[in-house]
Amino acid sequence: MSEQKTTREQSSLNVSKLIRWIAGILLLALVGWRVYQTAFIEGGYGPDTWMRFIIAGLVIGGMYSLIAIGYTLVYGILFMINFAHGEVMMLGAFGGYFMFELFAFIKAPTASDPNMNFLNAYPLVSVLLAFIVGAVISATAGFLLERIAYRPLRKAPRLVPLISAIGASIFLQNAAQLLFGPQRRQYINPDVLWRGTGWSIPVGDTTVLLTYTGTLSLVLSALLMIGLFYIVQKTKLGRSMRAVAENKQAAALMGIDVDAVIGKTFIISGILAGSAGVMWGIHNGLFNHYVGFLPGIKAFTAAVLGGIGNIPGAMMGGMLLGILESVGPAALGLDFQLKDVIAFSILILVLIFRPSGLLGEALSEEKV
Amino acid sequence: MKIRHLLFVVIVFALALSACAPKASAPEACETDAFGCAVIPEGDTIKIGMGAPMLGDYGMFGIDISQGVEVALTQDDGFEGWSYELIAEDTGGAPEAGAAVANKMVTDPTVVAIAGHIFSGSTAAAMPIYEKAGFPMMSPSATLPELTEKGSAVFNRLAFTDATQAKFAAQLLFESLGVTKLGVMHDGTSYGQGLADGVAGFFTELGGEVVASEAITPGEVDYIAPLSSIAAKGPEAIYYGGYAAEAIVMANQWEQAGLAGVTLFGCDGTYGVEFTDKAGPNAEGSIAVSLVPPASPEKDAFDEAYRTAYGMEAGELSAFSWSAYDTGAVLIAAIEKVAIVGDDGSLYVPRGAVVDAVRNTDYEGLTGLVKCDDTGECNASGPTFYIVENGEWVPYIP
Repeated sequence: MSEQKTTREQSSLNVSKLIRWIAGILLLALVGWRVYQTAFIEGGYGPDTWMRFIIAGLVIGGMYSLIAIGYTLVYGILFMINFAHGEVMMLGAFGGYFMFELFAFIKAPTASDPNMNFLNAYPLVSVLLAFIVGAVISATAGFLLERIAYRPLRKAPRLVPLISAIGASIFLQNAAQLLFGPQRRQYINPDVLWRGTGWSIPVGDTTVLLTYTGTLSLVLSALLMIGLFYIVQKTKLGRSMRAVAENKQAAALMGIDVDAVIGKTFIISGILAGSAGVMWGIHNGLFNHYVGFLPGIKAFTAAVLGGIGNIPGAMMGGMLLGILESVGPAALGLDFQLKDVIAFSILILVLIFRPSGLLGEALSEEKV
Repeated sequence: MKIRHLLFVVIVFALALSACAPKASAPEACETDAFGCAVIPEGDTIKIGMGAPMLGDYGMFGIDISQGVEVALTQDDGFEGWSYELIAEDTGGAPEAGAAVANKMVTDPTVVAIAGHIFSGSTAAAMPIYEKAGFPMMSPSATLPELTEKGSAVFNRLAFTDATQAKFAAQLLFESLGVTKLGVMHDGTSYGQGLADGVAGFFTELGGEVVASEAITPGEVDYIAPLSSIAAKGPEAIYYGGYAAEAIVMANQWEQAGLAGVTLFGCDGTYGVEFTDKAGPNAEGSIAVSLVPPASPEKDAFDEAYRTAYGMEAGELSAFSWSAYDTGAVLIAAIEKVAIVGDDGSLYVPRGAVVDAVRNTDYEGLTGLVKCDDTGECNASGPTFYIVENGEWVPYIP
């Protein structure tokens, strides 16, 4: 009797699976046909335009990845979505901004120019310090967030810290608005790193501008991700993080201070988010207290796309989302207003066919 | 049981009498006025209401406009000992909140007139409520064309409509700038899209060609992809319907998107010190529309007063500072035309008369002549185009 039931369930599962896959293949064929049409038949865009799309996508994708890692790290350890993570990034953006303002204010007269300020006299030091300060502020914010908003709720049902996270997010946004004012601010970069300057790459009969700020963002996010990978895979802290992610009780029995590891996880994700915030400021310029909201949501999407809890998945998801956003509407011949629709449609499709994300593995019952 | 009944009757009588009592000393104008009077007791202030986004993404509009109105109110010496006060309530720009604010305003007997609302959606939601209660409105910024097409007696505006602006912009693009291939962009809001569609329509009518049209998501900081997409179609100028926040980002990414040498043509939402400040050299040559008046001694005096009061330049937060001031001044003038000091020492303002007085305004303000037509369009001077030269907005002379 029970055997029979299993087989019936099995077969109905297979039928629905088959239908799903056929629908998926049809959809893919349709999208492929549309892309082929816009790219080769209508031929609206030259190679230079495609290259601009991809560069823009990579730069924003790098920032998404950094923030997405924060979501994934915290999810991997606590199984909660830290919705205030975007606000942690926002605080980093403010930190970097005020460092730049400070350096622009400090005078550093040189022989050639007595009115030179510190920012332009020592651009490398300034940028480095801005990143460090932004990262430290965000790391502190992340750490305090965990201490105040999440740790007391560790034993509560899983929805409770989620609500607490949303509350913390709203609190931080409004606190920043009250502290710093509602107006948009703009990063004043050192002259050598001015937005809109960069290398001109000849493509066909035109040139494509590869900006210094974009390159800096991309290189720095790659370095940070490599650094993170090293920490997680090769250090003692990384080993204990992985152990806590696997099983908190067992890790505690093995002599790992679980609370300390969780705190450090929040610090690491804060450092990454803070760096992304400063990058955001240097590359895009404009920001205000809402700057963290949209990238936060996008990065969360990226983390889910790549498989939440999986670090390489978050990196890949971020890059993929960035590129999809800038290439997708053009490839399908749609308005750019619809870029979020395209990005989120792809997220839904990925989740239909791979519910645990692109690189995610199915979680065991016990872990959930 | 009977005694209780008697008591009830006595109480009802007492209440009715007390309700009648102040009416006895109300001026005659209040009896005849269709909406009755606003009553301001001695020692209270004459209140002017406003529904504006004071917080959030568009908070700078509400803050700036309320400050501009406030300058007008504090500069005035008051009327027979009553001074003016602005009550600015936050709507966040949302229609629902606009209606809520209006419902709150009409219950306050000391609120006489409304400076606003600020956003079109919130204004449209609030209008019927003020209409019923006889509250005159003067909006410095709500530009949706339909607002004056509903035959409202209470609604007036200093802002010129989007349709007027679109027509003038298309003309300037085609005739003065000699553009034949135009790209059109908007931010997907009814304001931005209305303008962009309007310009595209008028431009085609004039004989030009609209080669590309693109919509963006507002609030983002990277528009390289949509700009590159438009650039591939080879326009000579791009018209943008939307606010400064996005226009700044676009101006900064203009060259990266391969649009060097293409004119960015904005609208009144684009104009402002913020655009030139934050786009810096990338703003050079951009054109926009504005309510900012040309220099005059009165304007300098206002700028000075604004700076002393708030520690920032007029126009720093939005371009509506001057229209806001005119709004305040026009409302004060209308109130003072009809207000009566009652025998009991209270100030009475017949509501219907104030509504008419605002509609019949004929006032030379900072932004030019304020004279309303039958529908409530009060900007008699029309839009002024500005171009960025050496980091400054200067009037564009074709």
